[in-house]
Amino acid sequence: MVSKTEEAQVNRLENQVDNGGGGAWEYLCLVRKLKLRRSDKVLKHGLSILNDPSKRSSLGHEEWTLYEQVAIAAMDCQCLDVAKGCINVLQKKFPGSKRVGRLEAMLLEAKGSWAEAGKAYSSLLEDNALDQVIHKRRAAMEKAQGNLSGAIECLNKYLEIFMADHDAWRELAEIYVSLQMYKQAAFCYEELILSQPTNPLCHLAYADLSPKRSPLRACEAAGCHCSCSNMEPDGNKKDSAP
Amino acid sequence: MAEDLVLDTAIRDWVLIPLSVVMVLIGVLRYFVSKLMRSSQLPDAKIVKEGQVIVRARNLRAGANFIPAKSFRARRAYFSNEENGLLFVPKGQAQNAQAQMFSDPNMAMDMMKKNLSMIIPQTLTFAWVNFFFSGFVAAKIPFPLTQRFRSMLQNGIDLSTVDVSYVSSRSWYFLNLFGLRGLFSLILGEENAMDDTQRMMQMGGFGFDPSKGMLYWYSLGQRDGGKIIQSLWLGEEHTVLVTNLIGMWVASSGSDCQMLALYQIFVVLCLVRSSIFVPIG
Repeated sequence: MVSKTEEAQVNRLENQVDNGGGGAWEYLCLVRKLKLRRSDKVLKHGLSILNDPSKRSSLGHEEWTLYEQVAIAAMDCQCLDVAKGCINVLQKKFPGSKRVGRLEAMLLEAKGSWAEAGKAYSSLLEDNALDQVIHKRRAAMEKAQGNLSGAIECLNKYLEIFMADHDAWRELAEIYVSLQMYKQAAFCYEELILSQPTNPLCHLAYADLSPKRSPLRACEAAGCHCSCSNMEPDGNKKDSAP
Repeated sequence: MAEDLVLDTAIRDWVLIPLSVVMVLIGVLRYFVSKLMRSSQLPDAKIVKEGQVIVRARNLRAGANFIPAKSFRARRAYFSNEENGLLFVPKGQAQNAQAQMFSDPNMAMDMMKKNLSMIIPQTLTFAWVNFFFSGFVAAKIPFPLTQRFRSMLQNGIDLSTVDVSYVSSRSWYFLNLFGLRGLFSLILGEENAMDDTQRMMQMGGFGFDPSKGMLYWYSLGQRDGGKIIQSLWLGEEHTVLVTNLIGMWVASSGSDCQMLALYQIFVVLCLVRSSIFVPIG
């Protein structure tokens, strides 16, 4: 989760860059560090750096990280030719690299050729069976195709090995909620609460879930809301009656 | 009561500064060599899973108050169930894990390489300092010291009336050894191989290897203290660290400087032994 100061810093940098001031590279680094999803801004400012040869050479060896970031942002914004261009550049520089192979598989996924992307991911997994990103991309592919039960299966298999990954637990919880499997979703939210007890959103989500499961659990909901409001001094003080 | 000795400035120019410069250069060299020699090791699925299990179990212990009692009990049973609990490692199997690590050549080689890259430059530099820079007073420590430190800090100086604050270059070497860590983290970035002093303090222990099945200790805590949420593992961790620190203090304040050399040999042996046992996770 992004802290308040970091979020303020990102917004400030974003304003600065949007209005023509410098600092695009710091903005991109911060977005990459905090793993935010601001693909249009990243694409715009990243391309402005990459297309300018002097700025590009001033980056040194971080240029390739920027290419990767811009490629992913382009795929998110569906500018597939931009992504293809970036991936080609990376391929020329690092032939046979697993990271570039991953980007290519993501490009196939973005184009919508699910079967080929699935094959590419499987072959990448053969080389390195413990690549977390590839496992998660497979689950994302299933979800994008609308196959929620397949996504659940993928995520469950992933979580059997990597059970401390709270992002995956949150994703699984959301899928369960969308399928109205509240008992399983509650289990996932409990895992989230255990790994991040200071994050009020997990408590809120868990509390919202409790009344749906049974009226008895609404008492738990009140307890959760109280513990959540204890955390956030200026947040919403929900004290829902059972 | 101390007569002030006037030290030649040539000592500063030709002993203190070159020694520091040499140590910095050797550190940088070691960093690059370790980067070159680092073999990319594919993580073992079992080890990764065990590490994650431990993180999850630790979270469960820490946040037990936030989830309903029934869920907590269900999870605890999942981890410490006698038949198929994730953390349950019967005594026999824990020993097997060690034997397996013994026979796993890759891991052992890796650990050995890392430790050797630390020991060899240290030993060589120490020998070089002793050979070239012994027999004279190198520096004065700004605060007064007791007589017990005389043998450790003044080993080349055979006058017993010189104030203990006047030390030989060997102590300058040790000062640099522990003090340049901060400098290295500045110039080499965060991830550098220079935290060997840290590793030395953690692993140069007195016979206790913390990696003797993290799961084993965890399962003991869960099984024996089922109702009591007691961090047996954390207790063990702290005991290890304290034991090591006491050991280092005992060895370094010995009355004979040979004790220091003995301690170094002991550290080497322990490192060799404990380098075979790679901590899980």
